[in-house]
Amino acid sequence: MYITVHVPRQLRAYCDGSSTLTLSATSVRAALSELERTYPDLYRGVCDETDSVRRHVNLFVNTSHVRDLNGLETPLRPGDELTILPAVSGG
Amino acid sequence: MAERVILCIGTKKGLFIAEASKRRQGFALRGPFGAGVDVYAALIDTRGTPRLYASSCNPFFGMKVLRSTDLGKSFKETKSAPEFPKDDGRALANIWSLEAGKNKKDLWCGVEPAALFRSGDGGDSWEMVESISNHAHARQWQPGAGGLCMHTILKDGDRLHLGISTGGHYLSEDAGKTFGPSNEGVGAGFVPDPYPEFGQCVHKIAGHKDAPGRLYMQNHGGWATWDGPGGPRPDIGVLRSDDHGKSWRSIAKGLPSDFGFPIVVHPHDPDTVYVLPLEPSTRTCPDAKPAVWRSENGGDSWKPLKRGLPKKDSFFTVLRDAMDIDELKSPALYFGTTTGQLWIGRDGGEEWECVFDSLPPIHCVKVGVV
Repeated sequence: MYITVHVPRQLRAYCDGSSTLTLSATSVRAALSELERTYPDLYRGVCDETDSVRRHVNLFVNTSHVRDLNGLETPLRPGDELTILPAVSGG
Repeated sequence: MAERVILCIGTKKGLFIAEASKRRQGFALRGPFGAGVDVYAALIDTRGTPRLYASSCNPFFGMKVLRSTDLGKSFKETKSAPEFPKDDGRALANIWSLEAGKNKKDLWCGVEPAALFRSGDGGDSWEMVESISNHAHARQWQPGAGGLCMHTILKDGDRLHLGISTGGHYLSEDAGKTFGPSNEGVGAGFVPDPYPEFGQCVHKIAGHKDAPGRLYMQNHGGWATWDGPGGPRPDIGVLRSDDHGKSWRSIAKGLPSDFGFPIVVHPHDPDTVYVLPLEPSTRTCPDAKPAVWRSENGGDSWKPLKRGLPKKDSFFTVLRDAMDIDELKSPALYFGTTTGQLWIGRDGGEEWECVFDSLPPIHCVKVGVV
């Protein structure tokens, strides 16, 4: 039940420089929990102390934003790709 | 090694370090460190081997504390940053102040939403200070335009003064075990009661180590023409205390505006204090002519210091932590602008010169002699 997590450049320092991680999870929430367990500093870059996904961080399952799916309860299937991306910004 | 003057310049795009000899000519610039990320707080800790600290406030991926042990040639993140307990319900939005604590590696950190953290190991681990962070008033404090921030931490033995916008001035006399509001004489213009117990929009508090009972405050002024409930509130913006912050009185008479953000005290004279008045509506200098104003008698009278500063058409803002003064025999003032200029005021502000004119918008300026 392995999925791939794509890590943005800004957070790779918190997972030994890896751009992708492979982990076992059946939902986005479970994937984040696994990140919290294995790479707590990386997790803290994605979620704040209330365990909410940070306001300017977007999560995609394959090509769909999780808000358009089932949020953190979005199920994951083997081979899915979970992509962490900062929101677009300027200034 | 000869003494060096070090400037920490926190900007919208990271931290810059400027270094020069004691003559303060030809500052060399390094950085940005934490590139692209706002830096609102910096500390030059000269206790023992000098250490430089800065906050790195990333709106995307969270807050970090940067530390340098080589006078700002390189920075690394500390092992952790302040963090609210999981069951608290609050999430860190910004780091507004870093100050040295009692022991060599003790640090204080003020954050947004307003709360206080303490480190005993140079910033590698942090604990929230419950006495103020969960004070009975804490959930009643309201954010100002800059956020609900704890921006001032001033220590005086076992006394600890905190400035919160908007929360007011809180005082501990037992090294932080307990805190209480201490705002007698501190006005507010944005609530019906002109002198509430707490909730004032304090902008900055400054003191002097040789006169600990004396404190100066830049409060949120600009309410002289208020015509709502409670009536006008002139001169509530610049204040002085002579009793360790228990009561305050206005010293704003003679200034072109009682609104402003920073307030700085001369390192060798507790009676000499500097402010940078701003128009309350625009947060820019009155008549577009910047000047630092100095009082040499504890606020009884004021004089503008503007030689070398633009004479017209200048519309920058100087934020609460963006002015500082060094501790050399003839000290120099420094301020950074929201238009990215770093100015030095030699001879206590008598003669101004632009050191850097094209930095990113400047949030904070700290100077140290190491």
